[in-house]
Amino acid sequence: MKRNNIGELEELVLLTVGILYPEAYGVEVMDEIEKQAGRSLNISAVHSVLTRLEEKGYLKSKMSDPTEERGGRRKRIFLLTAAGKRALEEANELRTQLFNQIPKMALLFRLT
Amino acid sequence: MKQYPPKWADRLLEWYCHPALLEEIQGDAHELFSRKAKENLQMAKLQFVWNVARFFRLKNIRKSTTTYSSNSFTMLKSYLTTAFRTAVRHPLNSSINILALSLALGIAITSFIFIDSQLHADHFHTNLNRIYQVTSRIEIDKQIDEWSDSPILLAPMMLQEQSIVEASTRILDGEAIVKYKDDVFNESLWFVDPSFLEMFSFPIVKGSKNPLANGNDIVLERKIAQKYFGDADPIGKSLSLILNGNVREEFTVTAVIERPAGSSLYATILLPMSKFNNQMPDKTNDWAYQVDGMFILLKKNHGVDELSKEMNRYVALQNIASPQWAVKDFQFQSLDGLALKSSGIISSVSAGPDPAALYSLGVIAILLLTLASLNYMNVSIATVATRLKEIGIRKVIGGQKKEIVAQFLTENFALCSVSLLVGCLLSYLFLLPGFNSLFPVNLSFGFSSGNVIFLFFGALLLFIGVLSGAYPAFYIASFQPVKILAGREKFGQKSLFSRVLLTLQFIVAIITIVGSFVFIDNSIYLKNKDWGYTHSNIITVGVKEKSSYLALRDKLLTDPEIVKMAGAEGHIGRSDNRISFVHHEQRIEAIDFQVGYNYLETMSIRLKEGRLFDQKNQSDRQHSLVINETLVKKLGWTSPIGQSIELDSTKFTVVGIVEDFHYQGFFNKLGPVILRLTDEDKFNYLAIQTAGANVNDTHQRIKSVWASIAPNEPYEGFVQDDVFTDFNRDNNANVKLLVFISTITITLASLGLFGLISFNTTRRMKEYSIRKVLGANLSQIFGLMTRDYVTILLTAFVVGAPAGFLLINSLIQAIYPNPQNTQPLPFIVAVLVMLCTVAVTVSSQLIRIRKENPSTTLKKI
Repeated sequence: MKRNNIGELEELVLLTVGILYPEAYGVEVMDEIEKQAGRSLNISAVHSVLTRLEEKGYLKSKMSDPTEERGGRRKRIFLLTAAGKRALEEANELRTQLFNQIPKMALLFRLT
Repeated sequence: MKQYPPKWADRLLEWYCHPALLEEIQGDAHELFSRKAKENLQMAKLQFVWNVARFFRLKNIRKSTTTYSSNSFTMLKSYLTTAFRTAVRHPLNSSINILALSLALGIAITSFIFIDSQLHADHFHTNLNRIYQVTSRIEIDKQIDEWSDSPILLAPMMLQEQSIVEASTRILDGEAIVKYKDDVFNESLWFVDPSFLEMFSFPIVKGSKNPLANGNDIVLERKIAQKYFGDADPIGKSLSLILNGNVREEFTVTAVIERPAGSSLYATILLPMSKFNNQMPDKTNDWAYQVDGMFILLKKNHGVDELSKEMNRYVALQNIASPQWAVKDFQFQSLDGLALKSSGIISSVSAGPDPAALYSLGVIAILLLTLASLNYMNVSIATVATRLKEIGIRKVIGGQKKEIVAQFLTENFALCSVSLLVGCLLSYLFLLPGFNSLFPVNLSFGFSSGNVIFLFFGALLLFIGVLSGAYPAFYIASFQPVKILAGREKFGQKSLFSRVLLTLQFIVAIITIVGSFVFIDNSIYLKNKDWGYTHSNIITVGVKEKSSYLALRDKLLTDPEIVKMAGAEGHIGRSDNRISFVHHEQRIEAIDFQVGYNYLETMSIRLKEGRLFDQKNQSDRQHSLVINETLVKKLGWTSPIGQSIELDSTKFTVVGIVEDFHYQGFFNKLGPVILRLTDEDKFNYLAIQTAGANVNDTHQRIKSVWASIAPNEPYEGFVQDDVFTDFNRDNNANVKLLVFISTITITLASLGLFGLISFNTTRRMKEYSIRKVLGANLSQIFGLMTRDYVTILLTAFVVGAPAGFLLINSLIQAIYPNPQNTQPLPFIVAVLVMLCTVAVTVSSQLIRIRKENPSTTLKKI
């Protein structure tokens, strides 16, 4: 099995892009991550992750219509590709699979 | 109201950001700004700037404005690969280039290290920029000179009266016989004010912070401390000194200081000024008494110009106190750069290199660098012929002129960088140690500061890189690809430019060689020159006390090896006491030797006319003089015997004329000399003439006799041959340096010639082969090969030889006042050396042609 090399932050961004469909772009992604995960990122960090994911083929992008608050500039809207979706599914699957293998005792024990 | 982010940050973003990414990045940044601006404008602006800064990532940065240079980075790699391959393909040429450049660079680096260390020798003083020496300008015979001396009272008075003077110190030369256990030496020392060690930053290796507080404190330089105490801790130990007269005093070592290499102040032993005050209380408060040097430390942010007005008062005070030593004014010399000015200050307490020596070293280095660069240029132009196809192809597949230039410059810089590395190695391993062994210096491979390294090596690389690479690069790049590929470009065969270069190179080489040989010839002449007396069998012992003089003389009377003995106050080769007298209203200065009976006979001074001193003649002691030929000429006497001169209001009659003899090294002009008699009380030297067989054995015997009669006095004996040791050492060092430099120049020139000839031979191998097949013999081929170079060599000789002679002759005239007339020998030797080099170079190629089988050459396509 070819491994999908996506990091934790990449996974987070990828998920957020999925959530925000069809309006995912830099600032929006940043806000959403802060809201959902409580992690405040710098916009430039979000940008570099987004471009990296696009280079890996997990995201594709198109330019939106210009908006007033951006001084008439367009946004780059990011969309999940099929590969991105599969990467998310695989990561999710792996996680659930691993999680399910943890003996109940261990979880209980940790809870007490 | 609409808010805008800071304009400059926005522009910065637009400038650096990759155009394809700019819109979204700028958009996001603006969006965030306008959102934040609704809450807090200042914070929003700050955040915007922060974001712009954070967006500055490699990925987002604009690559370059022009499209083709986006691959210049890739091409650089290709250029370097090509450079490496070409270098390997022509191993001979590239190693000649690298070797020649490295040699020249090594010499340049070594010279620079020397010059740099000399210029920054005093930079270890933390107060460097605030310390000034106060010097006096004195007018004598309408000539104004700067003297290191200053009135003894000036320093304390300035410290007291001038608010901007923070500290001051005086330096007074002294001399002492120093004894510790059985070791006795004569040492020179300095009396200084205690502030000396606070003003100057000589590192204190051991001992207290204020080491000159008490009258009997003594501070030693580390090497002096080692001389007396070895590895033992000298602090608190006691040394006994005889300062003047016969009084022995005990001093306690309170500190040991280090004297950083090259320091212009040569501190060896320091005693407190208060000691001097105790010894000569009458001088302490005497404006007329002069100390040998004084330094002041100014308060921060003040300059010496603030003091210049105040100085007039001190000039007046000094001139009232001693009208015979009238000071014109006082000058301030900054400690920064004092080393270079030292040679211009009379009887300076500081010492530094002769600026002329530094300049000539720099000029030599630049000359050699230029020579090596020309060399490189020549060889690379010649070798380009083999690369015409490469250039043609590069141009055809889209290479522009700019890129070809870039390629050749890159190659060149790569080669220069390699040479620079090799040059550093050469300097570190061979040249610097060689330089240290030749001259009394101890340099290490280092620089005064990081900036200097950066600037120097940058400038060096740029200099040789551009000088050697620019012309070939531009020239090559201008070829027409069509012509090249059609084989119509006939480059490098009869290039006028490269011949001019070669001629220039040979002219420089011949100038250096002829110059060096003329200089060396003169040095050899001086080394063997007659001193005017026989010096090989004379031993001289310094004797300060009359008792030890008499004791030594009596003991030695029985020694069978000793022929003659005589005492003297001033000794030939060691002393230069000057005396001046008025003759026909003309002031004449002469060297004055006051000697004992028999001294002139002992020294084998040659009598020309009249007689030497006679012990039986009563008036000789008071009224007779023996003078040298130069003085006779100066006085214009035709029959000098019986004439008289008045010296210090005593009338003297000339009884004898002696031939001129050298009383100093050959750097000084022979002047007028007066010899007269003096009493035994005043003798400082005992001159001894031995029978000649084994002077050194006799010298050892005298030394052991001395130890038995004067154990508390240092033995200061020497053989007369050693009198000019300093002169001979300098002279030998000059000769060695010149031999080295001319060897390098010859090597560089012949390497260049070799590279060129061997390349041309390879190129014309087919032609030679055909000629051989058709019956040409070697001498005809030799003629063909050398035809081009004969004119070049001839021109170089015609121009170079006279130029070299004129240059070096003016140098010799400046250094040695009595040089020999130029001999033809150096020219002949220079010409022969050059011819041999050329012959060896050419014949090595001739052998190659002879061995080559024409059929193999001609079979090659």
